[in-house]
Amino acid sequence: MTEVNETTQPRRIHGRRVKPSPTGLTRALRQPNERGATLGTGHLGLGASVLCVVQALYGLAQFISHWDAYPNTLPVVGAWALYLATIAVAIIILSTLGDRLPLWTYAVFLLLLAGVVALDFLAIWPLGNMGGYATASVSAGFGLLLVVTLRAGYELLAASSTLALAFIVAIALTTPLTAATLPTQLVTVALAVLPSVLGVMVLRGFRRMVQLELDRVLVQSTVSAPRFAVGMLASEELARLDLAAEELLDAVATGRTALPLSPESASVAASLATELRLHLIEGRRETWLYHAITESELLGKAVALTDRGSLAGLLDPTQRDGLLSGVWLIVSDSAKSKAPRTVQLTIGPRANTNERLSGNRIAVPIVITTTNLPRNRVDPAIWDSIGKMGRYGDSTQNGSLRLDITCLVDNPADR
Amino acid sequence: MVDTSLLRNVQTSRDMEPIAKERDRLLHRTARALGVTGAALSLVSVALPGVVPLPVFLTSLPLFLVFIGSLVMVGRSPWRRWVVLGVFCGVGALAVLAGQIRTPDDAVALVPLAAAGIAGLSLAVAPTVAWLALFAIAAAASVILVQLASAGDALLSAATVSVIAGWTLTALGGYWLAASVPRASRRIYSIGKAHRAERHASETEAQRRQSARLLHDTVLATLTLLAHSGVGVAPAAMQQQAGDDARLLRQLRLGATPTPQSSGSYNLEPVEETVLGTTLESVKQRFGRIGLEVTWHGTGQVLLPSDVLDAFLLSLAECLENVRRHSGVTQADVTITDDATTVRAMVTDSGIGFDLAGIDEDKLGFKESVVARLREVGGNARLFSSQGSGTTVVLEVPK
Repeated sequence: MTEVNETTQPRRIHGRRVKPSPTGLTRALRQPNERGATLGTGHLGLGASVLCVVQALYGLAQFISHWDAYPNTLPVVGAWALYLATIAVAIIILSTLGDRLPLWTYAVFLLLLAGVVALDFLAIWPLGNMGGYATASVSAGFGLLLVVTLRAGYELLAASSTLALAFIVAIALTTPLTAATLPTQLVTVALAVLPSVLGVMVLRGFRRMVQLELDRVLVQSTVSAPRFAVGMLASEELARLDLAAEELLDAVATGRTALPLSPESASVAASLATELRLHLIEGRRETWLYHAITESELLGKAVALTDRGSLAGLLDPTQRDGLLSGVWLIVSDSAKSKAPRTVQLTIGPRANTNERLSGNRIAVPIVITTTNLPRNRVDPAIWDSIGKMGRYGDSTQNGSLRLDITCLVDNPADR
Repeated sequence: MVDTSLLRNVQTSRDMEPIAKERDRLLHRTARALGVTGAALSLVSVALPGVVPLPVFLTSLPLFLVFIGSLVMVGRSPWRRWVVLGVFCGVGALAVLAGQIRTPDDAVALVPLAAAGIAGLSLAVAPTVAWLALFAIAAAASVILVQLASAGDALLSAATVSVIAGWTLTALGGYWLAASVPRASRRIYSIGKAHRAERHASETEAQRRQSARLLHDTVLATLTLLAHSGVGVAPAAMQQQAGDDARLLRQLRLGATPTPQSSGSYNLEPVEETVLGTTLESVKQRFGRIGLEVTWHGTGQVLLPSDVLDAFLLSLAECLENVRRHSGVTQADVTITDDATTVRAMVTDSGIGFDLAGIDEDKLGFKESVVARLREVGGNARLFSSQGSGTTVVLEVPK
């Protein structure tokens, strides 16, 4: 009667599960963001359009001041008309189309800009000073800013490099390079290329900032979680298992799956039963901190948690906030550097102090050891966060910061 | 409590927020990229032979280098005076060079330093009155110096207009970038709020699903049967049972908390205490359908708290399932007795039995499914058996 049956084989051997992909709202929010569509980049794109328009006005003024120099004004007038029409239509389309720009639209946009550059070059070719007289073709480089939030960075950089190449070839073919002309050529090429390069760089930084902040804010919600929680991932997992069981049973009930079951279906039923049983028995054993670390992209990679007594669950919201933001600050400072910092968090075991603590509170020792964080590079904000948790002492271990914190918490037996 | 403190932080001291730090980092990087590019372009241009005399170039060189160095240090060091030093060296380099340039063409060499280099540095600081004043002076100085170098008759030379345009574009871009951050941050916070609500909802949902224990017990029993391909059970009975369970799961999914109380009809009301008798009937019928005849003795009506009842019924069903699978007989006896504090069930079969010493009682199946569940509600289970003389299990739960 005590024979171990197939439904009760242990599934988890030790500790940590492989992190499943973020679920639900998290996934819905992060994915479009990873593709680079939303969250503030719209406003940033609008700013890029404003820059583009202001630069066009400046270019137009330059063009008018050169009016007498052109041997034939027709092509350059055409270039400017085409450029202004292109950016006007592009701004209208982008403000109505929203956050997507199909590849073919981008291709048409690039073709139009190429037309602008060709017409401008045609007009100034005989002048023998490309850098000095280029106007619409330089503006075309700024025109690329219009789509900086909508297309991948490398696509913009490719277009921008092509423009640079066109300038260099044209300059080499037409302009005698002397000390008098060279600075102008250099500045002109830089002016045509720099906007999109800087734009791509800024946007990348902006997206990274938004993602980091989003990750932090999402994880922040764990500070108000109960002492033990199922977590977003496990909760969805249970719903998924219930649904799978429902579908299987329904298929059997309606006769879609014939009885007796094929070995494949039987093994599906067996593994469903095993997973479901373990989920139900396992219950709520993980603390908010475990969920915070596994759900976060940033913390999940850098933080290792040891909390055998699940003591993290006893911390009050202020202490949780301090711990989470302290660890966050330690890790996020180095998220992109070559020597990423890691954090080892050890909570407990409970100290057996003879010290009388007021109001039946108990002391939970927390040790934070880090790597790649010298004591003199610690952000002051980290001390503020750690100070919220309780008394702490800092030292150096293996050339990196170590914190010993004593958190006073309410005795769970009194609750 | 957490909500309001978070909100207060957002409203009053956004500069303390991590996103402000990230914003500053982004602005510093942009300043560095723009400034260093501008300074390097100018440096290369004036280094060309014939633009300025060599001694003048050599005089300006250290100023260029300190300027670039201060850009590199901005953001890395909290010392704000790097910015001041940078502005002075940048304007100084312009002044040294502008004194020696007398053609509009060569004046262009100064434009990158004036329009991108010094202007770029302005991105690295907060728009306070003092900084705005400093950079207004720097902008005016760079415009005047470039105009001087152009030495033309025109009111404003082409190079000077470029410098004005460069400052305008840089200021506009920097302002817009900084202004985009609070917008994004507001949206991120509202997402955070939604996420917190979702976390609580999902916690409640998980709790609801987990507490639907009786339902999951019958689902698990059915799945276990199916794992054996449903062999030994009449297909019609199997189908009916699967249909019942699928319906219960559907109700759970749609938001109800179904508690199977007797076969055929389900009570969807949450109840504090449940009568044992009617519930036992459903267990009996379930095993009847799958080929185990259960004879019931003793108390029919006992009131139990619903979590105790769930644990009790699950354990009972597990025991009967083990009898069905391993005992080799098709009959079992269940005797329910109760006294003032305890309800007791004795499950007996006259099957093949087994040697208790030969099998570890701690094996996962019995321990987790029966003992653990009973202990959770303050009960216990004991097992008696020997080879060839059947098995008896005694389950106890407190009233």
